[in-house]
Amino acid sequence: MELSDANLQTLTEYLKKTLDPDPAIRRPVCSLTAEKFLESVEGSQNYPLLLLTLLEKSQENVIKVCASVTFKNYIKRNWRIVEDEPNKICESDRIAIKANIVPLMLSSPEQIQKQLSDAISIIGREDFPQKWPDLLTEMVNRFQSGDFHVINGVLRTAHSLFKRYRHEFKSNELWTEIKLVLDAFALPLTNLFKATIELCSTHANDASALKVLFSSLILIAKLFYSLNFQDLPEFFEDNMETWMTNFHSLLTLDNKLLQTDDEEEAGLLELLKSQICDNAALYAQKYDEEFQPYLPRFVTAIWNLLVTTGQEVKYDLLVSNAIQFLASVCERPHYKHLFEDQNTLTSICEKVIVPNMEFRAADEEAFEDNSEEYIRRDLEGSDIDTRRRAACDLVRGLCKFFEGPVTGIFSGYVNSMLQEYAKNPSVNWKHKDAAIYLVTSLASKAQTQKHGITQANELVNLTEFFVNHIQPDLKSATVNEFPVLKADGIKYIMIFRNQVPKEQLLVSIPLLINHLQAESIVVHTYAAHALERLFTMRGTNNATLITAAEMAPFVEVLLTNLFKALTLPGSSENEYIMKAIMRSFSLLQESIIPYIPSVITQLTQKLLAVSKNPSKPHFNHYMFESICLSIRITCKANPEAVASFEEALFLVFTEILQNDVQEFIPYVFQVMSLLLEMHKSEIPSSYMALFPHLLQPVLWERTGNIPPLVRLLQAYLERGASTIASAAADKIPGLLGVFQKLIASKANDHQGFYLLNSIIEHMPPESVDQYRKQIFILLFQRLQNSKTTKFIKSFLVFINLYCVRYGALALQEIFDSIQPKMFGMVLEKIIIPEIQKVSGQVEKKICAVGITKILTECPPMMDTEYTKLWIPLLQALIGLFELPEDDTIPDEEHFIDIEDTPGYQTAFSQLAFAGKKEHDPVGQMVNNPRIHLAQSLHKLSTACPGRVLSMLSTSLNAEALQYLQGYLQAASVSLL
Amino acid sequence: VRKHSEHLKLFKNKGKDETTLRRQRVEVSIELRKAKKDEQILKRRNISIHLKEENPSLGEDRADAGIIQPSLEEIVEAVNGDDTQLQLLATQATRNILSRHKDPPINQIIELGIIPRMVEFLGRADNAALQFEAAWALTNIASGTSEHTRAVVDGGAIPAFISLLSSPHMHVSEQSVWALGNIAGDCPLYRDALIARDVIPPLLALVSPATPVGFLRNITWALSNLCRNKNPCPPLDAVQKLLPVLIFLLQHEDRDVVSDACWAVSYLTDSCNDRIQVVVETGILPRLVELMDSPHLIVMTPALRAIGNVVTGTDQQTQEAIDAGVLTALPRLLRHTKPVIQKEAAWTLSNIAAGPSLQIQQIITCGLLPHLVEVLDKGDFKAQKEAVWVVANFTTGGTVDQVLELVRSGVLKPLLNLLLAKDGKTILIILDTISNLFLAAEKLGETEKLCLLVEELGGLEKIEELQNHENDMVYRAALNIIEKYFFGEENTDLEPQTGQDGMYDFSVEKQDFNF
Repeated sequence: MELSDANLQTLTEYLKKTLDPDPAIRRPVCSLTAEKFLESVEGSQNYPLLLLTLLEKSQENVIKVCASVTFKNYIKRNWRIVEDEPNKICESDRIAIKANIVPLMLSSPEQIQKQLSDAISIIGREDFPQKWPDLLTEMVNRFQSGDFHVINGVLRTAHSLFKRYRHEFKSNELWTEIKLVLDAFALPLTNLFKATIELCSTHANDASALKVLFSSLILIAKLFYSLNFQDLPEFFEDNMETWMTNFHSLLTLDNKLLQTDDEEEAGLLELLKSQICDNAALYAQKYDEEFQPYLPRFVTAIWNLLVTTGQEVKYDLLVSNAIQFLASVCERPHYKHLFEDQNTLTSICEKVIVPNMEFRAADEEAFEDNSEEYIRRDLEGSDIDTRRRAACDLVRGLCKFFEGPVTGIFSGYVNSMLQEYAKNPSVNWKHKDAAIYLVTSLASKAQTQKHGITQANELVNLTEFFVNHIQPDLKSATVNEFPVLKADGIKYIMIFRNQVPKEQLLVSIPLLINHLQAESIVVHTYAAHALERLFTMRGTNNATLITAAEMAPFVEVLLTNLFKALTLPGSSENEYIMKAIMRSFSLLQESIIPYIPSVITQLTQKLLAVSKNPSKPHFNHYMFESICLSIRITCKANPEAVASFEEALFLVFTEILQNDVQEFIPYVFQVMSLLLEMHKSEIPSSYMALFPHLLQPVLWERTGNIPPLVRLLQAYLERGASTIASAAADKIPGLLGVFQKLIASKANDHQGFYLLNSIIEHMPPESVDQYRKQIFILLFQRLQNSKTTKFIKSFLVFINLYCVRYGALALQEIFDSIQPKMFGMVLEKIIIPEIQKVSGQVEKKICAVGITKILTECPPMMDTEYTKLWIPLLQALIGLFELPEDDTIPDEEHFIDIEDTPGYQTAFSQLAFAGKKEHDPVGQMVNNPRIHLAQSLHKLSTACPGRVLSMLSTSLNAEALQYLQGYLQAASVSLL
Repeated sequence: VRKHSEHLKLFKNKGKDETTLRRQRVEVSIELRKAKKDEQILKRRNISIHLKEENPSLGEDRADAGIIQPSLEEIVEAVNGDDTQLQLLATQATRNILSRHKDPPINQIIELGIIPRMVEFLGRADNAALQFEAAWALTNIASGTSEHTRAVVDGGAIPAFISLLSSPHMHVSEQSVWALGNIAGDCPLYRDALIARDVIPPLLALVSPATPVGFLRNITWALSNLCRNKNPCPPLDAVQKLLPVLIFLLQHEDRDVVSDACWAVSYLTDSCNDRIQVVVETGILPRLVELMDSPHLIVMTPALRAIGNVVTGTDQQTQEAIDAGVLTALPRLLRHTKPVIQKEAAWTLSNIAAGPSLQIQQIITCGLLPHLVEVLDKGDFKAQKEAVWVVANFTTGGTVDQVLELVRSGVLKPLLNLLLAKDGKTILIILDTISNLFLAAEKLGETEKLCLLVEELGGLEKIEELQNHENDMVYRAALNIIEKYFFGEENTDLEPQTGQDGMYDFSVEKQDFNF
């Protein structure tokens, strides 16, 4: 494309079209459209230069802006040169862009400047410094222009180029670049910093000038942070006085002209001070030795800043950064003295901590209108940047050295705030909220979700405060009065549950149940959560602290209120309530049975409702757990009841399967497994009708389905193998196809073995006869082409199970029918060297029994060339009994799961209460495998006297022999 | 610079090869910081009159004050002239100019072109005063930049100075020692040129019980510069000649002598394992460990460095340092008020922790863990970073019981607090260490307990927050831990086809197997 007026005109037309609101013009289906056209020409030479010309010279402002955005996106897509791929921008265009873009950016209006600045930093990321050596000088030269519009453009670009120094790892390349930048940039930046500060005082009365100057200062302070991040540069160490003195005075500066009316959005002054706090914190943490002389001044300035800063939301970031700075400094032994003085402590408590713990209008708004967010912040700790949290961290920091004095000071405050509240609760309730918050942050030293507070400040009497100030609120007849205080009170019980004595907790339980009815989402959610947490507490003997017997009087009201709470506005899919339901079932066990008919109806209705649009994964999970619990608890007492659950659930399940509700399908399979396993007799026909559908490839393509589906097929095989063999024999290849699918994957092969083991264990042998050879060939291929430790472990368990089920001779014959001497090769290369890796009680036992059979019930082991493997195999077996498990994994396998980390949400959600019982297929046959070995050897030696003994005495190593003698003694047998 | 592959080894706690965990003193080619203030002085100028007065060996035949300073032209003329008296006065004047406290005009003097003439004066055995003044002037020229030193070397000063070592006049030979020290310190090339010209025997001959202490300091310092610099390191036979004398000097009562001797040993050990072995075999480690305990920073610093270098070596070399008692010397240094000492001590410990579990056990037995925890908790940031490496190496090479002991010592809390460090690499190492801890916990069946502990100590929320870290590796390591422990893996040719019935086809073709 030439740089011609005609081309400029064409480009203008197409750019205009991309702006058309009608998508038919922007991107119609067939004809060459604006966006397509632009894409088709972007590979041509001069295209970017045409865009630059347009954004500079077009008559229409929209075209300028549109050209600048198109240019930036073009750079983003094409500038990087990817190895082995064509260079998408020709060299002359690259050179021309780099030569023109900086001046062009600087002379453009702000909107376009931002786009070009972004483009520069994308180019810079690839080309700077080697392929763009003039960039720094070009930028630095502009510092002298005196035009702050230009200067801010340069600073902004520099910031986007240098900010990666904050997170990249040290490397020679990185440090070479930083050094280059420092050499060219540090001094001009320092001079600019000084000059800008001087200009701020000359223009102290010019609001618009100040705004531009302060924007520069913010960018300068950010650049300071990036340039000082990796290490303390020599230049900045030498010029620390200049920088720190000026930063310090900026912290203390105020100018009415810079104050904003906006309550939410931080103004320039706040942003600058906030960045200065970050800079001081960086120096305090990393360059303490050099920064020490300045630190006390910063502590004082930041503290004064906190004392004078208002409650508005716009100051939040500044305040929380400033408090975090103090919190990090006050924990350091050599700065302890800065805080030691009682007056200082009092003043920090009074003027910094207490005010920032107050419940503000914004909190109140969130409490009422955005309760989910409120709960997340308050309960789950996503409050890192909040003022309350910062204040809380400062309390903990101060308590490291000054626990006594700080507790003393705050006790006074707590009392006076409670008195204020008592005077007029309806007006002064926020005082009590602050008092509770203060007590909580003062008392809690360590905390987990599972146990609440785990270490408390012993100077605070938590029980007394509970009895005198928390319980009265919760005992009030009106559950909807002072909802914030109610929520505070419930939270107090929840987090201090391990500190408050049990009798007080028991008193609280009916109060909590009562608050499940509160209209406030936060209140009833907290009540549900508190109950759930109390029910998980452990007492002596690892039993639950609160027993089912103690709960007996409250079962009905508890269940009623929990399910009613799910009907309160805003809580129809409240995960805390559902979790409390699950936990209640689990605690109450058989005492819920009378309520099951009503409960299961409500749960299935809920299930039906949410399956239309599953949106709350946790809620759904707990709901299925609750269903499982209902089934287990009921069927344990009355196995026949399983039919009524099937009746209640199958309709909904069918709908879920038909509508392919992906989120729920793994759950449905688990519940079905549980139900099927409850059947004592032959598999019902309703299940058999579903069997072919379970073998559909589409189900197996989703990884989340695999574990529950395998489990379900295992249940089918356990209960209905003979039915499958007789009524669905044509489905056996499909079933084995599933096995083949699973075995092909390194991730799922163990699941394939689960299935195969069930097939071998339960299917009538004649029904699988024709497939057996195929099965082994498949396994051998995997073994040959991509063996992993996990595969070998599963393979060993399988062949031994096969040996137990079909006999050792059958195993040898089938191996050798696939390939001559195969059996010997597997023994020598796989079984003997790898058997030590098998893990799991049952798995080891299967292998022991299988190998014992090979040793003692397989004639070729005694009279063919395989005989030479007899002793090594016996030795390996004794090793399996006596040596620690070999858990080494070859080097190349360490990396497998790092690269293929699955997505954030594990697709498979295992239900704890649908759990499968461990199954021991050799349990009845063999109790003690060592004794079994001794007895089997005895039998063998009786059959061929002298041979066993002579083999043992000539080649078994002494230690193994000693163990073996032990087994023989224990079995009271001897060898002939 | 620590290699990425090394990191992965750490990360998975597998393929543990102690030697790769040991971290040599990092060769920094780029430095953003100010040059280190704790290093030994590389070159020295003779400027102090006091020094001379303290030092009677320098003679009294010089009158420093009251001399009218000739102009540079006069100096050139006199130096190039034949009048011995004028030569002496001019050389003395040159030396005076070069000895002034601030900004000696070394370049200007070099430009006068009088260096070859000064070198000639060094050979005037008949005129010790002239030899001395010329040696002094040349010393001070050689004390400047590499450019300046080169001017002296190119002037042919090396052989002249070496022969002056054997001068009957002690002040002349001492000044020559000084000049040679400056030349040796400049670069490996000059150092080896001196060694090739056999500087060592006459230099060592100057060391005797009778040598005045001031002179001995000078000699020791020059010897240390002969040991200094790498790429290449000094020739082995030279090192072997120097070592016995250095060992002798390490026993001296003067702390400056001991300090420079220590620096020399620290240079010799800052090298490959073979060179470390040469030093270890002299049996000097117990003395070095003893000197780590010196109340004098100038002695303790190089002693610590030398031992720190030794433990970057093989397991056996490290064991020698342990047997010499390094583990009992470290606690005091880990708490030293100077951050750089804390850092070096922690670095030393990190390399011992990179050893086999037997050595890790000695760290435990010697009671180092509480000190480690203290550095992690309250140390200077540079020391904290090294302490993080100690923990990382410990958890990589330690047995499950040892790791348990480490956790019991309270390492977790300060370690987790350091996840707030403003340093991506340190955060990554901590995350890797946490993974190691979890691997150990898994073996003990205590994963859940560790989860709770991490949460209780505020670690969980920090790790969660790191999922927002800008650095991709940090983010992924954090995500990995969260997924693996807190919430919550093809072979296409084996994949079955879908058959006509819509199910998987169960089929496979046989191949030959050979495992």
